[in-house]
Amino acid sequence: MDTLNELLNGFAAAMTWQNLLFAFLGCLLGTIIGVLPGIGPVAGVALLIPLTLNMDATGAIIMLCAIFYGTAYGGTITSVLLNTPGEAASAITTIDGYAMTKIGKAGAALTIAAVGSFVGGTIATLGLVAAAKPLGELGLLVGPPEFFALMVVGISLLVALAGKSMVKAVISGALGLLISMVGIDPVAGAPRFTFGMDRLLDGVSFVAVIVGVFGLSELLSYRKGDQPAAVHAPNLRSLLPTGKEWLRSAPAMARGTGIGFGLGLIPGMTGSVSSLLSYGAEKKFSRNRHQLGKGAIEGVAGPETANNAHANAALIPLFTLGIPASPTIAVLMGAFLQQGLTPGPTLFTENSEIAWAIIASLFIGNLILLLLNVPLVGLWTSILRVPSSILTALILLFMVIGAYTINFSVFDVFVMIGFGLLGLALRHLDIPLAPMVLTLVLGPLMERSLRESLEISQGDFSIFTSRPISAVLIGLGLLIVFSPLLKLRKPKALNEDPET
Amino acid sequence: MTTESVTSPPGTGKTARVAPTVLAGIGAFAAVGVYVLVSSISLGLWTSLGPGPGLFPFAMGAVLAAMALLWLLQELRNPSETAAGVDRGLVIAVVVSLVLLAAVMDLIGFQLSMFAFLLYHLKVRGRRTWVSSLIIAVAGSFGAFYAFNYGLNVALPVSTIPFLNAIGL
Repeated sequence: MDTLNELLNGFAAAMTWQNLLFAFLGCLLGTIIGVLPGIGPVAGVALLIPLTLNMDATGAIIMLCAIFYGTAYGGTITSVLLNTPGEAASAITTIDGYAMTKIGKAGAALTIAAVGSFVGGTIATLGLVAAAKPLGELGLLVGPPEFFALMVVGISLLVALAGKSMVKAVISGALGLLISMVGIDPVAGAPRFTFGMDRLLDGVSFVAVIVGVFGLSELLSYRKGDQPAAVHAPNLRSLLPTGKEWLRSAPAMARGTGIGFGLGLIPGMTGSVSSLLSYGAEKKFSRNRHQLGKGAIEGVAGPETANNAHANAALIPLFTLGIPASPTIAVLMGAFLQQGLTPGPTLFTENSEIAWAIIASLFIGNLILLLLNVPLVGLWTSILRVPSSILTALILLFMVIGAYTINFSVFDVFVMIGFGLLGLALRHLDIPLAPMVLTLVLGPLMERSLRESLEISQGDFSIFTSRPISAVLIGLGLLIVFSPLLKLRKPKALNEDPET
Repeated sequence: MTTESVTSPPGTGKTARVAPTVLAGIGAFAAVGVYVLVSSISLGLWTSLGPGPGLFPFAMGAVLAAMALLWLLQELRNPSETAAGVDRGLVIAVVVSLVLLAAVMDLIGFQLSMFAFLLYHLKVRGRRTWVSSLIIAVAGSFGAFYAFNYGLNVALPVSTIPFLNAIGL
């Protein structure tokens, strides 16, 4: 009952006209980012953090969360109409989505995708409501050693699952940790790796690094011919699926929700794995599996439901344990910290009203996206007709503003340029970027909990193995890191996923 | 003397080479790892209160150096395929224009510097028409300045040159 009351209070706070406007704007911007090829959700969310600088914490996080799940909706549009996924999680939708476009059923595919996304997102948010209290209370029982061990597990999973080579993923993670250590040491107050520059005493700007590594480097790695082909929006009449298509979609949506929700809880798993597994489930269980690949509605309904259920479920470890499950969630976590909010169990004790308002806004945002996506499909497709030279110029404009406004310093624009070049080099060397973002955000928290643990034990490292929860977690982390030796296989989709 | 290491992948009998860019990358990571390792010792690994500010960087420096070495061994056994090259013209144009923009932004202000930056990317690189280039450049520079300063209350820089500052640039 307590949870219901708090959720209702959350709805009351989320439904002020300002917060509804922020949710609407977030959905709009998120969909645009999802539609645009070349700018992924990680850079997109980081880029738009400056828009929220002078907002109150609730409005700012509502808007950024809406941008985050809006990208999952937007990515579908180009998959269906252009055979080009706007973001990785929608890649599998191209198979049946584009086949439906070729037989004149693009409208039905887009509507089913939007409804599936709504269903998946809403059910996953209900999961967040149910898990928030018990997991949050469990989280309050953990001390610095358990918290450190929990972060070791999160980072181990991401390192083990990211890219093709674990060695390269560890390099990426270590780089992120080292970058997070630039500035004043949080415990002793000594400057580290500042090279005598006063500007580095506060550390390297998180937004400038993310925008550089994910946004600028992606733009720099464009090659000629990357511009998508011409696209035509389906007319409004063709947007309505038939009764038979609704009936065929329902079981696919149910399976997609289960898969996306389950995998969303695991750090390191990305939305693309959920959508791929959901497609695999349709191939195995759907009554119309022989039609998959030729324009079957199940091939759109399942994966699209799964990737949105995944996106919303991935917020559960963040809200309850303070562990980001993916790079985009790590950026969201950075935004939380920037607003003075610490995601994790204390969020529900120290900032309960804000936490529940944000959760309530997830329901509202999913509804806004459903209402926004289908009728405005003509607008989204018109964005794709904007020439790449104009898009590049405008994206660069936002990158410069985004990097500058965090500290109101041109120095951060130089930081963004430097990290853009580093990101380009990492892409060229096939080094995954996801572990770097995660450790960049978690680095200071991880170091603090390690040092606090060792201060408690007076330098005795056995504190991590003598306490049962931390011992189990450390063991789990080691098992994950050494999984290649045990010949445990990871999903192939993660090797090619740009988000990792 | 060549910078490429010549190896034979097991079982193929063919001669494969480790790409120079990969070797340079491995060298750079190893160098950063060793630098962090050495400099973190001077920060202090342990104090009377417990772990010092150098302990965590020391561990990370060691991990980075060790992984670079492991990567080198992997490459020598089985060289990886290198990614497709980048459009160098695009990289140079974007990076140089961004550096110039950042260098003059505090001096001549956001509006003028961004106007010139956008005009370069739209008219010179993008070959858009004068009309569309000017409209987008004005909206992206002067328009963005007013939208951020007055709409979002986020201050973008104005010129430090008194004359330009006096006319609101």
